[in-house]
Amino acid sequence: MRWNGRTRCALICIAFVLLFSAFSFRLVYLQLVKHDEYAGLAAEKHVYKQPIYAERGAITDANGEVLAHNVPVEIVVADTSHLNKEKVAEAVALLSRDLKIDADELWGKLGSDRHYIVLKRDVPESAADALRAKLQEQNLRGIFFEHDAARLYPNGSMLCHVIGFNDFDHKGIQGVEASMDEYLRGQDGYRYIEHNRAGQEIVLYRGQERASRDGYQVHLSVDLNLQNIVENEIDAAVREYSPEKATIILMRPQTGEILAMANRPNFDLNQRSTAKPEQMKNRAVIDMMEPGSTFKIVTAAAALNDKKVRPDTTIYCEKGAWNYGGRTLHDHRPYGELSVQDILVKSSNIGAAKLALSLGDQKFYEYIRRFGFGERTGVELPGEINGMIRPPQNWSKISITRIPMGHEVAVTPLQMTVAMATIANGGKLITPRVVKSITTAEGKTVTEFSPSVVRQVISAETAKQIGRALRGVVSDRGTAAAAAVPGFIIAGKTGTAQKVDPHGGYEKGKYIVSFIGFLPADHPEFVGLVVLDDAKTSKPELNYGGLVAGPIFSRIAEKAARYLDLAPQPDLIKPNTAGRVASTSAPGH
Amino acid sequence: MNRSKQLNRVGAVSLARWIVVTALLAVAGLCYVYLSLQLHRLGDRKKSLETELAGLRTQNDVANVQIAALTSRSALQRRLKEGYLKMVPIAEQNIVRLAPMRPAPEENAIRPVANEQVGR
Repeated sequence: MRWNGRTRCALICIAFVLLFSAFSFRLVYLQLVKHDEYAGLAAEKHVYKQPIYAERGAITDANGEVLAHNVPVEIVVADTSHLNKEKVAEAVALLSRDLKIDADELWGKLGSDRHYIVLKRDVPESAADALRAKLQEQNLRGIFFEHDAARLYPNGSMLCHVIGFNDFDHKGIQGVEASMDEYLRGQDGYRYIEHNRAGQEIVLYRGQERASRDGYQVHLSVDLNLQNIVENEIDAAVREYSPEKATIILMRPQTGEILAMANRPNFDLNQRSTAKPEQMKNRAVIDMMEPGSTFKIVTAAAALNDKKVRPDTTIYCEKGAWNYGGRTLHDHRPYGELSVQDILVKSSNIGAAKLALSLGDQKFYEYIRRFGFGERTGVELPGEINGMIRPPQNWSKISITRIPMGHEVAVTPLQMTVAMATIANGGKLITPRVVKSITTAEGKTVTEFSPSVVRQVISAETAKQIGRALRGVVSDRGTAAAAAVPGFIIAGKTGTAQKVDPHGGYEKGKYIVSFIGFLPADHPEFVGLVVLDDAKTSKPELNYGGLVAGPIFSRIAEKAARYLDLAPQPDLIKPNTAGRVASTSAPGH
Repeated sequence: MNRSKQLNRVGAVSLARWIVVTALLAVAGLCYVYLSLQLHRLGDRKKSLETELAGLRTQNDVANVQIAALTSRSALQRRLKEGYLKMVPIAEQNIVRLAPMRPAPEENAIRPVANEQVGR
């Protein structure tokens, strides 16, 4: 082979062709075959998905008064890879002073080689701004700020059990915050962004974006003005009687709307970390109690509705002591013949037992269940319990005489309120509601909760008959004269039940006293329940529902009637009898 | 001699064409660079406006929180207790109640009407 100029030239050309062909193949391989892989790797370096956090919706009362909303705060985080090792001491000193964190704790955190260390949460904006400026001034790097929101409850402990609270991840864990979490939470958005070597976003290269949807606003049926009345009265009751627990509920019978709900003990929603579990329980829905004589409304309603008796039918009440099933049942006074109405007015245990006997076990049990006992009411509050109603096959021989007077059954205060609301509402059982509506932040309605009738428990006529009898309870003849409200006719029932001992039997000298009633008796605007567990009265013989809970109901009802602008009947206006127990000597049961 | 002169002659038209094409390309390039810079600048402006807007929103939220805290029930009650506010209960005789609504008249009942035309 001759290596002349032409050959050499051809060889060089071939070499170039081969070289560039190799380059081309490599280029095609990189650009087409490995494109996705390398593009992904490049994106990992510069592109990241930036979350756009949705704001949690506010909770308001029925009048739009804010009960829970968000305050912007910052989370202070550290990335030790960006931290100058020589300036750690300086950073620790500054952060320890400004964030009020223990210096040793900070040394431990900043001494590690982690890229994401949360130093402090819920730092107010103003404090974060001041710290940011100081960090810049001292040229300290590696400390970053992340936007966050803290939940704030402007009314502190008021309505705490209904509102509830969230955990650190802004997830509702109690009250409406938990039950309405789905609506309140909203939906986080995202945005793909590219950043330069300094970590600053290159806005030009913004990628796919989805806007966040802020959480909906939840409007409660609770009226804060009524709640305030109830809270003040329950506080006064706690001061006066030092009960172990107390619950007050106000409810609109026609719609099932809960207008006020308060429990004691309670806690401050803004200081919940210091609260004990006992303080956090919403006893209106998660606590069981023996209702005592208030349960007689169920017994009388069942007997009347089943046409076993008429309101004026008389029943012999055995002069205060009746032996049945080998055990003696007592009345607090020796009564002879009492009409069905008077059985309620005088709260006769023997009369109530005989009414239940006229129905029989099964029928009586069915009525109890029809009133909603033994099942959750369906209110939008988490943790609600069923109560405890045993089926007739588990009853003892004397159960039919004890259950009619509210023993051997366990109900929640809300179940009892709903049962009374059924009487006030013409026999219709309504699902109680604590949430009125859900709207967007702009006020557009998302969901509106309309009243939901569960069933017609008793006829309207029977409900009217019971209502008429219950008026007598709040009279000079009845057990709750102290529950009267000047200018209004009230229907109500007292209850005094000996406290159940968790170890069996009953606790001596400890009672759960209650009063439940509605006002005005003709066209009820609200049903109210007052329950005090183990109230301490000056004398043991004064520890009765009519004497302790009745006056509390009276004071609440009077203020509530004034607030709701219910017109009083002039002929019924007389000085209020709702005095305190210590100065009252009227009988009450 | 004449031939070499002819070969080295640069055509004015061709030169002008090249100059125009080059100028256009240069202008296009400059425009591209300028517009790219503008886009970056607008991006930065957008970012700063977004930051400013977020800041304003934050300030608004903080102000709302302060308003809610100052007008909350517990704050008002505290002020009432401290004597900064005073409340006077409305006496019963000072309350004017509107008469309750009368039921609608029966369907075929004669109802009085106002003839607005006559009054004009």
